[in-house]
Amino acid sequence: MSNSVPNIYDIDMPVRAFVTKRLIGIDSKKSVQDAAKLMVQFDISSLVAMEGEKVVGFLTDADIKRKVVAQGLPTSTTVDQVMESHLITIDIGTRVRDVLGVMSEKNIKHLLVEDRGVITGIVTFRDLIDIERHKLETYISRE
Amino acid sequence: MRLCHISDTHFGSGSHFNRQVFVDSMLGITKEHFDVVIHTGDVTDDGRLEHFREAKKHFDELGLPLVVIPGNHDARSGGIAIFEEYLGPANGVKVIGDALIIHINSATPDNDDGRVGMVKFNLIKEALSSYPHLPIKIVAIHHHVIPIPKAGRERNILSNAGDLLDLFLRNDVDLVLSGHRHYPNVYKVESTVLVNAGTLSGRKTRYGDVNSYNLVEIEEEQVIVETRRIDGSREQKRYPRRCQSFFHDFGRRELRLVHMSNTMITEGRVFLKKAFDSAVNTINSLDADLAIHCGGIVYEGIPEDYNLAKRKMAKIKVPVLYTPAGRDTNYLGFHLFTQSFGPVTQQFANEWVHVQGLASFQYDTTIGIIGETERNTFFSKMRSVASAFRVMFLHHNITPVPHARERGLLEDSGDLLRRAVDEGIDLVLTGTSSHPNAMQVENTVIVNANSLSCIYQRSLFGNSFNLIDIYEHCLVVSEINSLWGARRIVGMWGRAQRES
Ligand SMILES: [Fe+2]
Ligand SMILES: [Fe+2]
Repeated sequence: MSNSVPNIYDIDMPVRAFVTKRLIGIDSKKSVQDAAKLMVQFDISSLVAMEGEKVVGFLTDADIKRKVVAQGLPTSTTVDQVMESHLITIDIGTRVRDVLGVMSEKNIKHLLVEDRGVITGIVTFRDLIDIERHKLETYISRE
Repeated sequence: MRLCHISDTHFGSGSHFNRQVFVDSMLGITKEHFDVVIHTGDVTDDGRLEHFREAKKHFDELGLPLVVIPGNHDARSGGIAIFEEYLGPANGVKVIGDALIIHINSATPDNDDGRVGMVKFNLIKEALSSYPHLPIKIVAIHHHVIPIPKAGRERNILSNAGDLLDLFLRNDVDLVLSGHRHYPNVYKVESTVLVNAGTLSGRKTRYGDVNSYNLVEIEEEQVIVETRRIDGSREQKRYPRRCQSFFHDFGRRELRLVHMSNTMITEGRVFLKKAFDSAVNTINSLDADLAIHCGGIVYEGIPEDYNLAKRKMAKIKVPVLYTPAGRDTNYLGFHLFTQSFGPVTQQFANEWVHVQGLASFQYDTTIGIIGETERNTFFSKMRSVASAFRVMFLHHNITPVPHARERGLLEDSGDLLRRAVDEGIDLVLTGTSSHPNAMQVENTVIVNANSLSCIYQRSLFGNSFNLIDIYEHCLVVSEINSLWGARRIVGMWGRAQRES
């Protein structure tokens, strides 16, 4: 997988700079309707499911579409019934190349990221292939 | 990790170097245990060989690992070559214990300003990615990357401070050590602690301060910075190393603000009418309580532009507060501004929030200034409303903005930033350099706005404005694209619970 990614950026970089370190969460006992409202409110497509301060799952708008609406389940279905709860955690120092490898091997598009043993963020496949994120730095002092 | 941060020794034969203070301080340092001593530049007063030689002799006597970088004074008289001969490479990377220490020479020959060129920028970037598993990351650089107080009118700062700060923050650098200003200062910005040292043994202390050095301890979960002055006084600050990552308990939404700048209204290609009109439609649909325009309303301070601006801005169905940029006051602009949009300092208050404008413009220049008298008046007013959520807004940025040359546009930004942070202002809104940017300095969130509708803007996301939602328990800053209305979260911060 990592070999099939066009070599447009440095995939030997640690994933740290691509991790979203501020995330919006929802209590996993809340309904998918509440989750959808939160997604609409912040114009985002995924939420971290939480039990207290602990991350227990990940919910995307595709999960709501696939596992709730298409199945004819009620909007009162709780987040923990449909969230992705098999979460894989990687260290924040892992290289982008290896992160892409894990995503491909496990067929998942988002990973939890831990920094010195504590979950501090999430990285998604989209974050890694977002060229703009790689272009962020400029070199003004070149002049 | 326990380190000693010294700076600005200013070895020399003239009266600038205080030998007695140097000897006394070194004696104090040798009595304690340190993993490393970091010297952030201006080793010598004028870059001369005999003084580098003398400095080296003293540093060797310390018997501790030493990381040392040159300052602008060391670059005088072609001093960098001598520096490297006696004290080692001016730029480089060292691993000491479990800490990565990147040291960068920001001095430019015979010029007091600082610069970090592309090669060195890449060196920092590569170093940060080459040791991904080291738990502590430290950068030492002579010139400060964030404005610091008591700098007088000297506002020179690294020309690419915005990009550097952005690089440090995105890589979670734990500690940035600087010198140069001869005045000790500490800020925590996001999860990075930025420390300035005073001068160890130079006689040019500022504002009646005395010589000092810093002690920094980096523990598993906190960073402790202690400034030790030669008069025996000690000042300590403690910071948690982590920031809040997950936000699930927002509480009630207390206030929704629209934050914009540089609409640059005029007839002609500079002003993007379509972007403006779409943005206004979006703004009117957002159910915001208040909009704040941080200046750059018109392209020129002429009647034609103001007439159009008045018509265009009237389409916004939310109360708007304005503060002028220099540009808005050029030519007849000052009169036209007050005629069309009201006084140069505007405010909004209800039982919960106090929003106060601060005029930073000057005629015919992009350089801004507040001045001490204005500042004192402003903050005594803010003190009288201390129980409210306090927002200040001005045109000029007070923290460096990425992708822009940091020209130190506000002359007294260092003093203003320090004061805003110390007074516990909750939110600072600015609107220069047309790049959206948000960061938390100590407990104050500082947000800069992109240009809403001018062809000159710097966001990859396109022309935009900010939406700032203040909830009971947190603050969310998003950028909204002017043309399409797409929203992107720029930052989120927990709110310190105040006792009522
Ligand atoms: Fe100095
Ligand atoms: Fe200096």
